[in-house]
Amino acid sequence: MTDPIAAIEARGLVKDFGEVRAIDHLELRVDAGAIHGLVGPNGAGKTTLLRILFGLVRPDDGEIFVLGRELDATEAEPMREVGGFVEEPRFYPYLTARRNLELMADLDGGGRERIDQVLELVRLGDRADRKVGGFSSGMRQRLGLAASLLRRPRLLLLDEPTVGLDPIGVREMLRLVRTLAGDGVTIVISSHNMSELEGVCDAVTVIADGTSVWRGSMDHLRAESPAPAHRIETSDDRRAMQIADADPRVHAVADPDGWLTVSADQAALDAFVVRLGINDVAIRRLELLMTALESMFFSLTGVPASAPSPVAEPSSEIETVR
Amino acid sequence: MSVAVATPTRSGDDRAGGIGAVYRVEVSKITAQLLPRAAAVVCLVAPFAFTFFVNTQSSVPADSLFGRWIHSSGFSIPFVVLGFAGIAGFPLIASVVAGDIFASEDRQSTWKTVLTRSCSRGDVFLGKTFAALTYSTAMVALLAVSSTLAGVVIVGRQPLVDLSGSLLGPGKALTMIAASFGLALVPTLAFTCVGIYFSVATRNSMAGVLGPPVIGLLMVLLSLMGSGVIVRSMLLTTPFDAWHGLQIKPIQGKPIWIGLLVCVAYGLLSLDAARRSFRRRDFAGDGQARLAWGTVARGTIVGVAIVAVLLAGSLLDSTWITSQHVETSVAKTLSNLVAVQQGILGRTVVPSAVKVYPFCKRESVISGTSSGAGDDWTCRLYVDGPQVGRLAADYSVTVKPNGCFTAEGQAAVIGPLHIKTPAGGTTINPLSAFDGCMIPP
Repeated sequence: MTDPIAAIEARGLVKDFGEVRAIDHLELRVDAGAIHGLVGPNGAGKTTLLRILFGLVRPDDGEIFVLGRELDATEAEPMREVGGFVEEPRFYPYLTARRNLELMADLDGGGRERIDQVLELVRLGDRADRKVGGFSSGMRQRLGLAASLLRRPRLLLLDEPTVGLDPIGVREMLRLVRTLAGDGVTIVISSHNMSELEGVCDAVTVIADGTSVWRGSMDHLRAESPAPAHRIETSDDRRAMQIADADPRVHAVADPDGWLTVSADQAALDAFVVRLGINDVAIRRLELLMTALESMFFSLTGVPASAPSPVAEPSSEIETVR
Repeated sequence: MSVAVATPTRSGDDRAGGIGAVYRVEVSKITAQLLPRAAAVVCLVAPFAFTFFVNTQSSVPADSLFGRWIHSSGFSIPFVVLGFAGIAGFPLIASVVAGDIFASEDRQSTWKTVLTRSCSRGDVFLGKTFAALTYSTAMVALLAVSSTLAGVVIVGRQPLVDLSGSLLGPGKALTMIAASFGLALVPTLAFTCVGIYFSVATRNSMAGVLGPPVIGLLMVLLSLMGSGVIVRSMLLTTPFDAWHGLQIKPIQGKPIWIGLLVCVAYGLLSLDAARRSFRRRDFAGDGQARLAWGTVARGTIVGVAIVAVLLAGSLLDSTWITSQHVETSVAKTLSNLVAVQQGILGRTVVPSAVKVYPFCKRESVISGTSSGAGDDWTCRLYVDGPQVGRLAADYSVTVKPNGCFTAEGQAAVIGPLHIKTPAGGTTINPLSAFDGCMIPP
């Protein structure tokens, strides 16, 4: 049996910057046509990995195949069918948005005819003839996406694409990502915000300390995720703690500021809330502290670097085909 | 199990931009930036401003080659500009774009934008290099054209006396100007390559732009320290004087070829070092590199060591400027000038018919042979020829370390500074003071 075609396949990837190991035997597989999330805390190695994929940085060890071509560690060269941006996209401030895109198209050997189309797509059509030096961070982000789409990439690498965008911008960016994926573009999105990727990604790789600590589908991640955490303010926290301790499905911790942090799945939380009412404990406030995926994220990325990586013994469902 | 991987497809979008695309993009960027534009304006306007200014003054910059002709022939202006620009101007022109063309991508954090397009690093390096070389070439050409135009428009198209004492008509003068600026272009391009190395290696625009002119100034200072041939030949500023050889009869090709070799060596070494550094580099962060004190200190130590070695070599190297060289050169120039002067006065004299017997020595030398650069040379010249008869003239001669000299005579013997032409006009007496150049062996 053959697995789905891989757009990216990385094995044992290592990158050192002096004494610092930024990427530590990282494994990655991104299926062609999928939206793949790269999640991890700041400094986990996501951006370095993307820089390697772009050919900006050469790995010190390991193998990496991008769209079927092995990246040569001795020759860091760009892949023509790979688009996107890494960190905040930057352009020549003394040129207009349109002129910047024209130069990008020239470097690609074509694509000028799509400039108006991509500018409209990222809602910068009315700012096309303004100098980029006056653009906000969000506008540069959108211009970066426009520049990425000029040459119709088969693989789109987006590093924190929603940073600097307002909520509407975030929604539009994610909608655009889904549209592009629908057209067959493989998309890799890096983020430190698990909830942002939850509704858009098909699969995810969690990175911590330069290595992949979890890989698999989003559905599988949800299934493996621990209970979500809620913050509850009651009329009698001591009594509420006693009620929580009586139910093995509920784990409550008293916060020094007078809150209770309760970890429980939906059914157990419902039962706990009902029991609080029966026992005359009023609930003054109840809020979601962490989703199940966020809980998973923290539990995964909180693993000390020296501890065995969960990737070392993956379940058969999420194992990369070797 | 096996790995199935997507295979790349070839489509119209898969064409690479290549070196040509990078070159065109860089030229577009250069023409849109303030500093290169400002430098172009300076190259265009400065010769006009200079010419206008000196023509409002009664004195002339007589210590510069052709300076004494600045009021008498417009064709002297480009040569005076050439002399000034060779000191630091050309290295600065070279570094305006070259020193910034790579470092500006660091400053603006745009490397990730450029290198994630379809061009290889090799394409980017060569495209940027050719763009910087093009800008330097354009600026040298602009300076040549603007200084010539300034001279012709403001002063006029009068004939010019060249460094061998011969008269250059407008056609020959223009050819000589073009050839001289063409020769100055070669070291300018070498300085451009040095600027590119600074830009790549330091990743700092200021270091990239200021590095080449500082090196140029250091080399000029070194060349003033002694008049030996070996160290002087190794300096990248020496080829800026190669055009002197064009004005000496017969044309002296040796300094031109040596200069060409030196420039090629500096250029290729700089570009190779820059290319290696650029290809090896990991583009792992954004922003312009700060000049670390440790790096600056190491660079300074290396620089001081090189300067010290060259200085020692320069001082130890014996001078090639001897009394024999001075006598030969001054005598040949004077015999040509006598013919020119007689021509101005309406008399025809063939230069070869004028015999000059020179005796030159340094006043500071009590005994032994006179040699070396200095302002204490005196020459007694016995002239014998048709129309002029026999006369003896004493000249005070200042010899510069590069072999060029200025000779000033006594009015009582050779006539006043200005003489009247048969047509009733007034012109400079070419014998009152003249410039010339000796070519190193």
